[in-house]
Amino acid sequence: MSEPVGAPLSYEAASARVEEIIRRLDSGEASLDETLALVSEGKTLIELCASQLAAVGGALEELHLDELVARLESEAGA
Amino acid sequence: MPIPAHSTPPAPGIPDSALPGPYPVGEYAAALRSKLRSFAHVQLMGELVNLRPSRARVYFELRDAGGAISCAAWRADWEEMIARAGAPAEGMQVVVAGGCDYYAGSATSSPGFSFAVLDLRLAGDGDLLARIERLRKQLDGEGLLETQKRLHRPALPRTIGVITAEGGKARDDLLAALARRGWAGRIVWGFAPVQDRHAAPAIVRTLGELAAVAGVETVIVARGGGSLVDLLCFCDETLCRTVALLGVPVIASVGHHTDRTLLDDVAAVSCSTPTHAAEAAVPVDCTRMRNEHATAAARLREHGRRAVRSRAELPTAARRLREHGRRALISRARLLAGLSRAPSAHLARQRARLHQQLREIRAGSRRRAESELRLTERRAIVLERKTASCVLDCRERRPRELERLMLALSGHDPQRTLERGYVLASSANGEQLLSAADAREARELRLRFADGTLPARIER
Repeated sequence: MSEPVGAPLSYEAASARVEEIIRRLDSGEASLDETLALVSEGKTLIELCASQLAAVGGALEELHLDELVARLESEAGA
Repeated sequence: MPIPAHSTPPAPGIPDSALPGPYPVGEYAAALRSKLRSFAHVQLMGELVNLRPSRARVYFELRDAGGAISCAAWRADWEEMIARAGAPAEGMQVVVAGGCDYYAGSATSSPGFSFAVLDLRLAGDGDLLARIERLRKQLDGEGLLETQKRLHRPALPRTIGVITAEGGKARDDLLAALARRGWAGRIVWGFAPVQDRHAAPAIVRTLGELAAVAGVETVIVARGGGSLVDLLCFCDETLCRTVALLGVPVIASVGHHTDRTLLDDVAAVSCSTPTHAAEAAVPVDCTRMRNEHATAAARLREHGRRAVRSRAELPTAARRLREHGRRALISRARLLAGLSRAPSAHLARQRARLHQQLREIRAGSRRRAESELRLTERRAIVLERKTASCVLDCRERRPRELERLMLALSGHDPQRTLERGYVLASSANGEQLLSAADAREARELRLRFADGTLPARIER
């Protein structure tokens, strides 16, 4: 179940990294430069997670397999 | 079959038909029941399936490769039978004893044939369960129960394929559960029968087609629960092998925990209800995560703001540090100066204290001496008074007292009495004789006079 190498970051990996970043920031141990870098990375990751959630947060799209297959077959026949 | 007598006037029959009748159906049904009940009672053997207990009756089917027959028993009889023979499990090989019966029905209830079961014997596991168990072991031996479980299941799939019956309740349950999770991606529905003999090939075909649709990340196979016989299509070998070799994770939701099919073993995840299947397909609770992301973003902003603020405050902090340093230096210098003055001040304090103590000691001794002197003077006066009193005693009171005592004493002296002419008589051994009788009895007497003692004898 590991992430494929080179694949874009998955939702769960991005989400886990955001939690790690917040834990580090909350600990107060990060230096000023590290804090700024972590905040910037965290913001990017949250945007990534939010965009993935937005992709499944609109209107439910229902497709019927029979129609898809029929369309593919007709395109192949044309 | 004996034809019942007409109880109502006959309706006109089908013209030109050579067959007798028409007869009222109730009478015909009653006659059929009598005929069936007259058949000889026998024993039957087969696999017991589709066991359905109701309040008064217990229904099941007996099957083998050649056919099947519906069976029924009264609930009370059934309880006695299983108390004697043991409770049969679904798919178990059994022998039943009984005979044919027919429920004639009525204007409001349906008729039905059944084999009335009067006794039961368990004859071991049926072929059905044994076949399924053999296949499970075979698939396990080939490692096919694990292939699906090794596949990566996305936490937030955008497209889910679902195989289920078109009008089934499972479809509504799935949609409701996905909506509750706040998931509204793309669903590709692959409708297929899910319980008859056509089901397995149809599901296999649909699985292949769904896996070929671009973007399908997870497939759910769902139906409501049922007896193991109803779920047999999910124990189909071709179906199980197809799922095991599919590159997309399959979530099985085809029965309950008590009715585990082979598909449950082969699939990546096995769920007991369509609702659980929806949660397994979308592990992320999207609604909750949207809120959590908003919170995380706010916290990040706050950390960022603080970091920027602290960077801007660096020059001020440096100035304040310098100021603190300067103040610390002055304070240290003052402390050192104070410390250097400390020994002489200490000595002076000690000296003053010693002088004070000396003064207090002297004053104390003086007070003590004066007090002792006063006490001694008081004691001397007391002593003097006592001496005077004692001297008076010796000189005056005591001679007078002595004289009085001498006078009192002389009053008691017997010598004075003897001098006045009295005589004391006593026995020879010195006992005082106080009467003439005592003297007569003693005979030998001693008579004491003032100037001496004489012996005497009583003659008569």
